[in-house]
Amino acid sequence: MNTTGIPLKDPEVSAAAGDMEQLERAYIDASTRVPVLMFYTSAIAWLIVGTVLAMVVSFKLHSPDLLGGISFLTWGRLRPAHMNVMVYGWASMAGMGTAVWLMARLCRATLRFPLLIAAGAAFWNVGVLIGVGAILLGDSTGFQWLEFPRYVAVILFVAYTLMASWAVLMFRYRRGDQIYITQWYLLGAFLWFPWVYAAGQLMLFVVPVQGVLQSAVTWWYANNLLFLWFGAIALGTAYYMIPKVIGRPVYSYHLATIGFWTYALFSSWTGMTRLVDGPFPAWMITASIAATILTMIPVATVGLNHHLTMQGYFPLMRYSPTLRFTVFGAMSYTVFSVIGVLISLRSVASYVNFTQVSIAYSHLGLYAFFTMTIFGSMYYIVPRLVGREWRYGSLIKLHFWASAYGIGLMTLMLLAGGFLQGANMENPALPFSESIETVLPYLRGRSLAGILLTVSHFIFAYHFGLMLLGLGRTSTVPTFLNPVEAETSGGH
Amino acid sequence: MKGLAPLFIGIFGTFAFSWVGLTVIPTWQIGHLNPESDEEGTDIYPRPQSGMFVRGAHVYAANGCAYCHSQQVRADYIADDIERKWGNRRSAPRDYIFERPVFLGKMRMGQDLANIGARAPAPEESPAPGGAASPAAATSPATTTAAAPASAPSTAPAASPGTSPARAVPPNASPPPGQPTGVASPSPGQMANTTPGGSSPAAPSAQTPGAPWPIQTAGLPPMYSAAWHHVHLYAPRSINPDSNMPAYRFLYERRRVAGERSADALQLSGGDAPPEGWEVVPTFDAKCVVAYLMGLNQSHPLKEVRSVGGAPAAGAAPSPASQGAAPAPPAAGSPAAPKK
Repeated sequence: MNTTGIPLKDPEVSAAAGDMEQLERAYIDASTRVPVLMFYTSAIAWLIVGTVLAMVVSFKLHSPDLLGGISFLTWGRLRPAHMNVMVYGWASMAGMGTAVWLMARLCRATLRFPLLIAAGAAFWNVGVLIGVGAILLGDSTGFQWLEFPRYVAVILFVAYTLMASWAVLMFRYRRGDQIYITQWYLLGAFLWFPWVYAAGQLMLFVVPVQGVLQSAVTWWYANNLLFLWFGAIALGTAYYMIPKVIGRPVYSYHLATIGFWTYALFSSWTGMTRLVDGPFPAWMITASIAATILTMIPVATVGLNHHLTMQGYFPLMRYSPTLRFTVFGAMSYTVFSVIGVLISLRSVASYVNFTQVSIAYSHLGLYAFFTMTIFGSMYYIVPRLVGREWRYGSLIKLHFWASAYGIGLMTLMLLAGGFLQGANMENPALPFSESIETVLPYLRGRSLAGILLTVSHFIFAYHFGLMLLGLGRTSTVPTFLNPVEAETSGGH
Repeated sequence: MKGLAPLFIGIFGTFAFSWVGLTVIPTWQIGHLNPESDEEGTDIYPRPQSGMFVRGAHVYAANGCAYCHSQQVRADYIADDIERKWGNRRSAPRDYIFERPVFLGKMRMGQDLANIGARAPAPEESPAPGGAASPAAATSPATTTAAAPASAPSTAPAASPGTSPARAVPPNASPPPGQPTGVASPSPGQMANTTPGGSSPAAPSAQTPGAPWPIQTAGLPPMYSAAWHHVHLYAPRSINPDSNMPAYRFLYERRRVAGERSADALQLSGGDAPPEGWEVVPTFDAKCVVAYLMGLNQSHPLKEVRSVGGAPAAGAAPSPASQGAAPAPPAAGSPAAPKK
């Protein structure tokens, strides 16, 4: 740990880097202020909408007559609405905000045409709004993760072009030769998303493939969105935030290189693990299972790299909100991937294939891994955009623990309930309804976890709102989770 | 890493690799399947479905049925889907060639529906309201010629009584003690429907009173008939009190009886029944979604998949699981003889 007593420092600011560099950084941050804050504001608004939807969905699953009998409040419409709000409203917007900011910082270039990006964000919001409305009014396409009707896809695509092209074009104006690890992931994400999205739309709606291949394309799309879009952004963010906050370079560039390319190569092949034992040629599923097992290589290298970077600095998680959330996300990446391997193995999949385990898996990926990492980045970035520090350390702590316990409890409930559900489903001596009866108590537990997550999201939204209104603290020291003296006095 | 070019090429290459590998090559391999037929070119399966089926699929998609119901039967050596009477063989890519979207599903909070139409009682017993009669007819399967909805006037359930050793239900299998036995009209066919365990030697213990679902409930239409589906969609808990399926009341219209009660009015009982002088009738969407359900039927044999029960998959051989056990109970042994 740093000897000055303040354990969290921006080394370049404090040390060699002169005023020039600080000034430059301030300029770059300022250029991203409008679009990134717009991304974040919309993302958090969608997060609240999606959370409310999630609560209704979760409660309706075990209390089906709640808000029953109304077409746009029927479970089968609220569920895809929740999913799409979270995926396209919250996660994509928040990820894009973080990615644009990181891109500008790492290219050491001011963001050009920030208002165009903001316009793109506005378009994207309109697209998600129309899409969710369409789902609630009964115009869903029926393809999981791609429920938005075709006309919404067009809007999203235009919006995406407006947003991402400038982020990618920043490379043209970048200074310095080195391309940092984070930039690999972000460039990958920015290019993979439109390709994957276009391929999905093309093969499902424009020139639709035949029969079961629609399902293959759907899950290929969904897994690639999870890995190559959200996963890539989150990993890139973690590679920036962890070294930055602890003020220490990444342990190994070589490990990072291996991790990045194996990640790109293998995780893009995992889609068919959602369809194990389905009506497909066996090689497709086997290839995906093999690829899923091989994703252990990037998991190991990335995890090792983060771990070795963090080594000796773990106590800093006591103070830094960013670090705490980011490390939680990075660790969840390992858990998410290991569980992904386990449930893709044929012997396990035949039990858990049609159970709540797949919901647990999706939430591990999208929440425990991606969302937590992005929360961490928001705690780092927002103060630099609004020029204020987070107002209450206690609220941040509350946010973290409610989120961590919420997602932990939810995952446990869904995994345990799902395994029991699957075991009963595969026991022909028991009636099918038994498998449902088995999982219902766990679904109630999941609703409890949902309440925790709801609390955490409302706290965070409130805190973010204060920052947006300029009600943050004015201070030169970032907001710590615990008083710094506590550590020094306790430690000595 | 230096330079953008290798990075860009790598990013593009990994994407292209997975895109070609998991979508393009499979399309080339199984993306242009044709229906199968026997030597004479008759008995074609699968066939394009009716317009109501197609519209019903959209209602099914719009209301998210696929988030709880899968439509795929796994092989008997992998899972016990077939033992659960969700089908008499595993699903094959060819089963889905006319379906768009395909609802393979990822969750079973409800039963698998790949063969829900095959479980329906034969048409003459099913007062299918709302035009669902035709798909329902597809499920009178005595001979395999009846697989397509339109070609289904096979009125000879007696064609091959009892030739299926594994599946045929003794028509008079008596309901175990304690099971509700009240049946709308006590025909043997419906009795057969009331004996889920009877058709499944592996599951004798499933007969504990009140536990297994679905069972034929007193006063309701024959299970899996179109009329039953309507009641089930309108008031799931009137059929199974523990069901956690949402009620799709918005697909039905409550109206005052004008003159005579409509033929397709729902046969509701108890608290779900409308007051005197009122009736609940399905909207067109409800009729379509029921027509869709009644059309889901993969009981027709396919050459590439072994039908469980030992019968060769050749076209003319009777599908082992599709026997009427006796003339009167045509639904007795349909592939999905009642399920729990």
